[in-house]
Amino acid sequence: MDAKLKETILNPIFKGNPITVLVLGICSSLAVTVTLKGALVMALSVIVVTGVSSLILSLLRNTIPSRVRIIVQLVVVAMMVILVDQVLKSFDATYAIDKQLSVYIGLIITNCIVMGRIEAFALGNKPWPSLLDGVANGAGYGMILLIVAFFRELLGSGTLFGIDILNRFGYVPNNLVILPPFALILLGCIVWVQRSIQKDLQEK
Amino acid sequence: MNTNSNVYTVIYTTVIVVVVAAVLAFVSQSLKGNQQANEKADTISQMMTAARFGTKAEFQKMGNKAVLAKYAEEIGAAYTVNVEGRKVADLDLTKVYSPSELKAQNYKLKGDKEEAELPVFEFRNGTAVVPVYGAGLWGPVWGYIAFDGSNTIIGAYFDHESETAGLGARIKDDPAFQQEFAGEKPAFTEGKVFEIVKGGSPKDADGKEIIDNKIDAITGATMTSKGLEAAIDLWLAAYAKHFSAAEDNNTEE
Repeated sequence: MDAKLKETILNPIFKGNPITVLVLGICSSLAVTVTLKGALVMALSVIVVTGVSSLILSLLRNTIPSRVRIIVQLVVVAMMVILVDQVLKSFDATYAIDKQLSVYIGLIITNCIVMGRIEAFALGNKPWPSLLDGVANGAGYGMILLIVAFFRELLGSGTLFGIDILNRFGYVPNNLVILPPFALILLGCIVWVQRSIQKDLQEK
Repeated sequence: MNTNSNVYTVIYTTVIVVVVAAVLAFVSQSLKGNQQANEKADTISQMMTAARFGTKAEFQKMGNKAVLAKYAEEIGAAYTVNVEGRKVADLDLTKVYSPSELKAQNYKLKGDKEEAELPVFEFRNGTAVVPVYGAGLWGPVWGYIAFDGSNTIIGAYFDHESETAGLGARIKDDPAFQQEFAGEKPAFTEGKVFEIVKGGSPKDADGKEIIDNKIDAITGATMTSKGLEAAIDLWLAAYAKHFSAAEDNNTEE
């Protein structure tokens, strides 16, 4: 694999992470990180949506009239989101989680990462790198989601993936952790950690 | 080719939209059966959870087929009644009410009360389950309340569309809240049918609840608690004549 392709995949995971560096898509990261299960399904959904819409739009990139390109992007992304939602609703195993995530699956449409990557990358690159870029950005987003959800479920409910971890030791779940502001506090901590490792992100 | 000409743009967007619409319509049609089956199994497991045939988590593990089979085994009768307590029609034993069907009846209860046809699901063991529906803080809340033969609540299960996780969502997620309903007896004949208030019922010296139709509200979820109270109050009041008629029959026998 050549260096540029590797960069396409690795950059969004850490150095150019969509949430902690570009600060995109933080709205949904507040809403769906109460439980790990929800965060995992959300992360996978976003990976599929960013990956496949980047691929489709990259394939179409030379035919799209530039005046209506945002509308075309929106139509394709909306289609992917509805497809994901419909599929989640139709399986026994994912129905309950889809119900729990409710509107937030639909709101992937408005997730800035999806449109941002299409506009910035997929419209100027070949299909294969575009697919990888979409998937990698979804994964970078999903990774942060899972880290935040790990702490929120552990401290807010005393469980992980619904399995009791802390409650058996007499832990009293912390209600503040369940509320959205705590996700912001956690996100802030993650950005802090990342910036202290990655010094070039710090403003002079 | 000039991709920026007006004709090209119009044709291009038309084609894209038609293709996307076709894909979505196809997928929606082909998954519809599964989705409805999931919704139905979910509703049934909520009713059976209220009626104490198991917990919601157990039903979820069983899978749709097993849930439907268990329901077919346990259900005895299903029919609709009006606010006068008279039976309107028999329901098919596989029929359940989806939240949107409950919503339709809820509109009637608030407007044309006499028009409402309210479902009652009676299980073979004598438990009767009735739905409630109303508005929470962010969206609708609904649920099922199960009664034994003497009009005492034996269990309840509530669901919601978008109440706050950890607060209002506890009407669904917190078994302790649903547990509180067991043993309560709605006041079908006088005053407010059911109340969800801070502290619940006052207790006597032995710690026994004095009042049978009050339960403790959820801390930090005042609006959801109030919404649920209003829903329970409205619906149970509509069932009042049905239930008091049932009680009269029991005493006559």
